[in-house]
Amino acid sequence: MAERSSHSVYNIFKSMELGPGAESSAVTAESWLEQHSRSLGLFIDGKFVHPDNRQTLTVSDSKGENLCSIVCADDDDILSCASSAAAGFKVWKELSDNRRAKVLLRLASVLQRYSQCVCEVCDLCQSPGSAPALVRLAQYYAGWAQLRHTLLPEWNPRGVVAVVMSDDVFFYSMWLKVLPALAIGNAVIVVPGVKMAPPTLLLAQLLMEAGLPAGVLNVVTGNGSVRVKVAQNNQISYVTYSGSKQDGELLVKQMAGRGIPVSLSLSVCSVCPFIIFETADVDSAVDGLMDAAFKNCTEWRWVVCVQESVYDAVVEKLKFRMAGMKCVRVSDECERGRVDAAVREAEQQGATLIQSCPPPSSGCVYPPTVVCNVAPPCSSVVSPPPGPVVPLLSFRSAAEGVALGNCRPHGRAASIWTEDLTLALETAKSLCVGSVCVNTHSVTDPSLPQSGRRESGTCTDGGREGLYQFLSASVPLPRSEPISLDYTKFGTAASRFLVPDGSDPSSVSRSCTHLVGGKVCKAESGCSRAVQAPGGAVLAHCPDGGRKDVRNAVDAALKVQPGWMKKSPAARALALYSLANSLDKRKQDMATSIHNQTCLSMEEAAQEVELSISRLSDWAARCDKQNGHMPLLPHTGSALSTPEALGVVGVVLPDTKPLLSMVSVLGATVSVGNAVVMVPSEKFPLPALDFIPVLQASDIPAGVVSVISGGKDQLTQALANHNEIQAVWYWGSAEGRQFLQHCSPLKRLWLHCEEEEDEDVRKFWTEPSFSMQEEMWRECVVWKSVWIPTA
Amino acid sequence: MSDRNPGMDLDLEWVSKVRVNTQAVLRRAQQVQGRKVAKKEWQAAWLLKAVTCIDLTTLSGDDTPSNVHRLCMKAMQPVRDDLLQSMDMHDKGITTAAVCVYPSRVADAVKSLKAANSNIPVASVATGFPAGQTPLKTRLEEVRMAVEDGATEIDIVINRTLALTGQWADLYDEIQHFREACGDAHMKTILAVGELGTFTNVYKASLVSMMAGSDFIKTSTGKESVNATYPVAIVMVRAIRDYYLKTGHKVGFKPAGGIRTAQEALVWLVLMKEELGDQWLTPHLFRLGASSLLGDIERQVGSAQITQLRPLCSS
Repeated sequence: MAERSSHSVYNIFKSMELGPGAESSAVTAESWLEQHSRSLGLFIDGKFVHPDNRQTLTVSDSKGENLCSIVCADDDDILSCASSAAAGFKVWKELSDNRRAKVLLRLASVLQRYSQCVCEVCDLCQSPGSAPALVRLAQYYAGWAQLRHTLLPEWNPRGVVAVVMSDDVFFYSMWLKVLPALAIGNAVIVVPGVKMAPPTLLLAQLLMEAGLPAGVLNVVTGNGSVRVKVAQNNQISYVTYSGSKQDGELLVKQMAGRGIPVSLSLSVCSVCPFIIFETADVDSAVDGLMDAAFKNCTEWRWVVCVQESVYDAVVEKLKFRMAGMKCVRVSDECERGRVDAAVREAEQQGATLIQSCPPPSSGCVYPPTVVCNVAPPCSSVVSPPPGPVVPLLSFRSAAEGVALGNCRPHGRAASIWTEDLTLALETAKSLCVGSVCVNTHSVTDPSLPQSGRRESGTCTDGGREGLYQFLSASVPLPRSEPISLDYTKFGTAASRFLVPDGSDPSSVSRSCTHLVGGKVCKAESGCSRAVQAPGGAVLAHCPDGGRKDVRNAVDAALKVQPGWMKKSPAARALALYSLANSLDKRKQDMATSIHNQTCLSMEEAAQEVELSISRLSDWAARCDKQNGHMPLLPHTGSALSTPEALGVVGVVLPDTKPLLSMVSVLGATVSVGNAVVMVPSEKFPLPALDFIPVLQASDIPAGVVSVISGGKDQLTQALANHNEIQAVWYWGSAEGRQFLQHCSPLKRLWLHCEEEEDEDVRKFWTEPSFSMQEEMWRECVVWKSVWIPTA
Repeated sequence: MSDRNPGMDLDLEWVSKVRVNTQAVLRRAQQVQGRKVAKKEWQAAWLLKAVTCIDLTTLSGDDTPSNVHRLCMKAMQPVRDDLLQSMDMHDKGITTAAVCVYPSRVADAVKSLKAANSNIPVASVATGFPAGQTPLKTRLEEVRMAVEDGATEIDIVINRTLALTGQWADLYDEIQHFREACGDAHMKTILAVGELGTFTNVYKASLVSMMAGSDFIKTSTGKESVNATYPVAIVMVRAIRDYYLKTGHKVGFKPAGGIRTAQEALVWLVLMKEELGDQWLTPHLFRLGASSLLGDIERQVGSAQITQLRPLCSS
């Protein structure tokens, strides 16, 4: 009765409390867990298996009580899982598109049937997931399964794909990788984090009910080392990871030298700008902010940037709206401590707080907090703590707002608020992020590609673009075992100095220059190296470029690339056509150069030049043809999905087809607006160096293309260690590939073998298929999606 | 009653800077509708709060002294006494906030209420309700007469022509004249949002009305095709919040037209709580204009009591 009196109608009438929220029921989830005796096994070959004598891990709920245990897989389990997946892949890829689509469609209806259970299991395990979003995902990719051979005819599924997750990502993010991988015919091994394991196992079971053949989806649970062991298994053809930056980087390093591509979606902890312009509907912006920042669980964190003229209005409205807000859950006691420490530190540096109530001294909750007037270098701005805390910064002009938004190393998402359409689209274009929401925030739909820029990863998920990570058009790398390599010493060996013996005094070897940032020059070190014909005769001396030359080239590239990118595609096309023309004018010289360098017959050399001219024209033609699109979302509004230039691309070129390979790469990268720093073949650098005058005679702006000759390993090392280079394409040795994966895990790497005279590989240059060219184009761009809700 | 809104000089710069994003407002409205009041005691208490905020209204051509009298009696005893007793609310003065009638019926209502010793205020619509398309002179006269007859709250309608053509200064002057004519009577300004076209216009009209000294802003007359909707209400209460933050004066809000169910009444209260906070959840600052809502609320209060409270009592 005591309870009754405190909650008497009259007391509530006076206080107007909303009362307790509806008790979240967990009946179906509990009964599913009971069905499995609260000990979940591994999901291998279409069924749960419970191997004996394995270490177990405990999954607990929000109150810290044990929910169930999961198995920590050991090497035998991973082996049996991998062979099951390999067998599953054979069955799955042979099915017709329609059959695969049907499985995914059935999954959508099975998910609807069990949506209650899925939601409850997700809730219990504190791994937020929404059943309607998963249903939409299944339906969307069922469509792609149906159309795969029609719309993506020359592409092949990769094989067995490992989808590796850390603990704090959204459940949805996992299926945003798994379902497209399945849709186009891969088999998948999922390694979820501990909290996410139970819902993942449930969904695996539901996929079986939907008719997925056994082995196509396996789930292996365990701790961090299991992730790596699965990824390193020799049945795996591709690894895609979602989670934190730290673990992601480590994973790529551990995969170095295995010949398996790895891509990372590092959305966890990504700090995203939330920009409010003076032309915004400030009330709606404040609502949006509170919705984005103070929810119980968010993957992203926000930094709010407010234009000075509305700064006070925003602060006042926040104060008004936040008054009386209750504390929000944080994941544990020690996180509360971290959040509190960060807020105190900001306060000591002169920040003022907007806080709904004083923070409690214990427990797993923290009040919603806005940190105003904070110094930009303060740690709460640079890396805001997880939890309901957002820093608030001010800016003067729109340009300053964009600069403030771009000053963090992450590039996941942004939310911009303005009623001015021109400003909105301009800002969306200038922000270096994967997705921009205008007058709203965090919109996710499978048709909208989500990609990461800079420290937010190297991977695009969702949409048609998200399919390509699970497909390959060219010959995949051979699997290999890592070589023992001293990463600190790679590329540091002094180039061997060669005094030509028995040189022919009748031909004095000429001395070449290379092209750094638009200037023809010698190597910064002043050294040069001898270039020999296959016969051994010294043909010339080329500059022996190194770290400083790369640095100069990148500095220059960074200056000109934004302007080059902003040029209209038609203007870029004209520049490339002029390059093709200029090559046409000097084709005799170039053919001679190839002939002298490689000892190919003059005829073959001339053919290569002809092919190079046509290749350049190809890319010129593509400039204004290959474009983005407007994804169709279930909401009303306008979405744009556009390819953008990466920035500066570093390329280490192969020995074969020294001219053709160079112009192919040059055309592709430059056509979309990148700048490129190219390292010609160490063995045959002359055609590339002789191409420099051709390049200078064209309309390509100085600095967009640099050609640096020298030792392959030295220059690879220099490219890998330069922070501003966004992507490295590499044709070369296993050591080089391993070094790149190990030393630049956050760059977009496109690695190839130093090709032998293999028919397939030669075709890559001489007669690339449409899909090979498209693959190259897709390696040159990063996707940005823009979403504007309208009626 | 609390302090009145003294109004302020017309600030056209403020009005011109107003920006409203329709999609964001719609999204917010959906969010608010998703917030639920707990069942049992909470439901009952909230519904009773809604009762105390009702302007019990009859605005028909066939109103006579007898149905106005019945309306007044209902306003004094809106919920069955046995129900109130079971909740221990019988002595807490649960009445509706006011009765609302046409100017010609004001005298009847005042008489009925006085006879029953009630101090429930009588509100009257005026100024050429509902269209407002009569000369300013007669509209002002209408206000003065209603006040003379004993109305202590006047619901005026704005001149939509002025709002739609952006003649904010003229609109401001008109409303100020009405305010003068009202004297001590509180003035509720009806924006007729269904006829204002855009959310931005609604926001601007709200601001101008408040600057001219309205004590309440009200959504609609109940006679337009589009009445009180949640999105439009969000726009108006945001204007109220803005005005409060700038001037420190609290202006009330009155949705009217088409509010018929107890469930809707709860959403309106939640909307006020979410957007403006608990301080606006009183009849001084929040009114529900409705004629048939009370019946449904009474039924829901009753059923909340029977189904929810009986097990507790028997235990």
